[in-house]
Amino acid sequence: MGKKVIHNNIRQLRFSKDEMTQQQLADEVGVSRQTIVAIEKEKYSPSLELAFRIARVFDRSLEGVFFYQQGEGNNNE
Amino acid sequence: MSYREKENLVNIFSGLLITGIYAWIIYQKQLAGQFDLTVNYNKWGEILLVFMGVSIVARIIIYIVFHIINAIATQAEDIPKEDERDKLVKLKSTRNSHYVFSGGFVLGILALAIGMPIYWIFVAFVVSALLSEIVDNASQIYYYRRGI
Repeated sequence: MGKKVIHNNIRQLRFSKDEMTQQQLADEVGVSRQTIVAIEKEKYSPSLELAFRIARVFDRSLEGVFFYQQGEGNNNE
Repeated sequence: MSYREKENLVNIFSGLLITGIYAWIIYQKQLAGQFDLTVNYNKWGEILLVFMGVSIVARIIIYIVFHIINAIATQAEDIPKEDERDKLVKLKSTRNSHYVFSGGFVLGILALAIGMPIYWIFVAFVVSALLSEIVDNASQIYYYRRGI
């Protein structure tokens, strides 16, 4: 079984939203800047609640920000 | 290095420092013949209770000094608020810490079972408490760096 990872495009979304900083996003969703850094680097998968809050900041659906992809070799599962 | 990582590093070093100094003082008193911890088990209770108090006071002082130095060095006034990631990191690290402490305690009981002196259980208690604290803080640093 391949490694399951939740990917995201928060970095691109931040830049398209008037180059929003990590700190600004962190303040809006109520977490530390380090947590936003960890989410962007995919070192931390946020809770469902935090994921919804982030998606709401960018006026996107959850799938518009986060997407689930299994590791290589298991893409057809 | 983030505030949390620095905080955990300070905790590891302060834990080692405080325990090391206190253990050295107690050992010197033992050598001087003020008490004999190999037979006086009640003294262990007294020593450990005093150690808990000393440790708490020393840690508060070290934490204040750390916070002042960190604030001067980084120009950041606020301590980062604890969010869901911090809580998850703490939870996983506490779990690892409990494994180590339980393991040390079982080793102490095993030592008694194979005929080692009774004071070994107290030694195992102190050593496993120190190790579990180191594992707790080291785990936090690990999870912050490698991700969870």
